[in-house]
Amino acid sequence: MGVIHVEVCAGTHCTMMGAMNIMDAIHSLEELQQEMDNPCDIEVKAVPCMNLCRDEVHGPFVRVEGQLITHAESESVMAAIMDRCK
Amino acid sequence: MRGLFTPITKIRRQVFTEVAKYAFERDLEQSDFNYFYESSYRIIPGEVATYRDSVFKERAIIRERIRLALGLPIRPSITHQPFTQGMAECATTEKKLDMPLVNVIPFACEACPTDRVQVSDNCRKCLAHPCTTVCPVNAVSIGKHAAIIDQDKCIKCGRCIEACPYQAILRFGRPCAQACGAKAIESDDLGRAKINQDKCVSCGLCIVACPFAAIADKSEIFQLITAIRSGETVFAAVAPSFVGQFGPLATPGKIVSGIKALGITRVIEVGWGADVGSLHEAEEFLRDVPEHKPFLGTSCCTSWALFARKTQPTLAHCIAQTHTPMVASAQKIKAEHPGAKVVFIGPCVAKKLEALDDEVRPYVDYVITFEELMGLFSAKQIELSDLPETDLATQASRDGRNYAVAGGVAQAVVNVIKASGHEQDVPVTRADTLFECRKMLALAKAGKLNGHLLEGMACPGGCVGGPGTLSQIPRAATAVKAFAQDSPYQTAGDNTLEALAP
Ligand code: SF4
Ligand code: FES
Repeated sequence: MGVIHVEVCAGTHCTMMGAMNIMDAIHSLEELQQEMDNPCDIEVKAVPCMNLCRDEVHGPFVRVEGQLITHAESESVMAAIMDRCK
Repeated sequence: MRGLFTPITKIRRQVFTEVAKYAFERDLEQSDFNYFYESSYRIIPGEVATYRDSVFKERAIIRERIRLALGLPIRPSITHQPFTQGMAECATTEKKLDMPLVNVIPFACEACPTDRVQVSDNCRKCLAHPCTTVCPVNAVSIGKHAAIIDQDKCIKCGRCIEACPYQAILRFGRPCAQACGAKAIESDDLGRAKINQDKCVSCGLCIVACPFAAIADKSEIFQLITAIRSGETVFAAVAPSFVGQFGPLATPGKIVSGIKALGITRVIEVGWGADVGSLHEAEEFLRDVPEHKPFLGTSCCTSWALFARKTQPTLAHCIAQTHTPMVASAQKIKAEHPGAKVVFIGPCVAKKLEALDDEVRPYVDYVITFEELMGLFSAKQIELSDLPETDLATQASRDGRNYAVAGGVAQAVVNVIKASGHEQDVPVTRADTLFECRKMLALAKAGKLNGHLLEGMACPGGCVGGPGTLSQIPRAATAVKAFAQDSPYQTAGDNTLEALAP
């Protein structure tokens, strides 16, 4: 148990591709965590364009504990966080 | 699907981006509309269908969406019509938009059942099977594997749903029809959704409700960008709900900079027009209620006002005659800058309809949504967080900015009435979604709301719940309220309403 650091790119491309919805999904986990036996703290930060969207586009981009998730979706990000919360 | 980012949201935004990109980059003299044919391959790549039975169908749907995004009608399915038909005429700064605004793409519609009670595979074919016992029309029988409901007999009373110990029976309907408070969704001869245009008030909520992305509205982004590129002076009038729509880093000042970076000359807060509206509506209320009108309904929400006038024609005079904030703002812009074009940017599909009105046409040249604007930012690769803050030398009062959230409009009007020295409290009744508005109108008709100020909003939660938004409703509402607190003017009456800033 500890703090899980998550960075969500809130640049134009990633926002258009659903970054805000991913943020909402992460916030929904915070509530869920409170009901768990072993809650962990989730620290989410919206960060400016990670400059990964310039050439081929694989956004939205999210980092969970430093690890990059491309084509991020609510489900993949939530699963990555929950995995680390075990 | 509201509040969630689904493949549908993605496709819709990709279409806007493709169209905007072409509009920004194309050779103004010599268009090549094959680009849009290729767009359907860029959006749906490969040979394997992802969402439907075939890629060909998926791409065909994209192509109709592109036509709508250009402002064109969808093509008939039974006769041949070239994909590019009409596109050359769309490349203009003139208004191209035409009715109907909200369209079902018939072959994208899956013809969902209108209302059905159905047994799911949760049924365990139990010995007691209370579902059969409670059914008043003997529609439930026990089949080989599960209970079966005879759809011809079923009267949808819901008793079997209540009785089942396994929650195996459910009732469902069409998402589009369930979203439509105007009851405008009917069926064509193949059972697909069809919009009754006499009833439709263009609220656009079916667009976000359909899980098969079968419904889309027309857009004016192509004409807007053509105007920008032809060197027209374009003013943007942004609806109060713009705050918080473009991500947590896109502050209001950065959004303004972003809009300017598209080639737009000036950005005006429509909250300014909301202040004008509040003053008018307060005046109308004090003058007419109850002597000439039993109550007064607000007029800023186009869908609500239209819905009220259509469904309760005898009460039509009770809806305020006040111009919508969009029109008030646009009139001011045109008065100060007669040559300028005006684009209204908002959460709303119905404003596109309003702008087709003969009285509004001279003032509002184009209407686009926040989601469409996002497509423009993306096409031009405008990184909002990198931009400087453009100071919004304040235009709108706190109350004007709060128009975006349900309850804000009535509050603004009441505050003006109070400030005018009116002694009595003004009773307020409000409703959001047309389902609630319908009930409110019924009460009004029955004489139960005499002396009230009625605030009607077609979208859930007010404008922040509009179909053209990107942000979730609660998040957007919080952002709007924080921005409202920043205004140095409290009420509409405090606003000096002189020349437009900045
Ligand atoms: S929800 Fe979509 S697919 Fe279902 S009937 Fe309505 S338009 Fe057709
Ligand atoms: S917008 Fe996310 S990487 Fe550029």
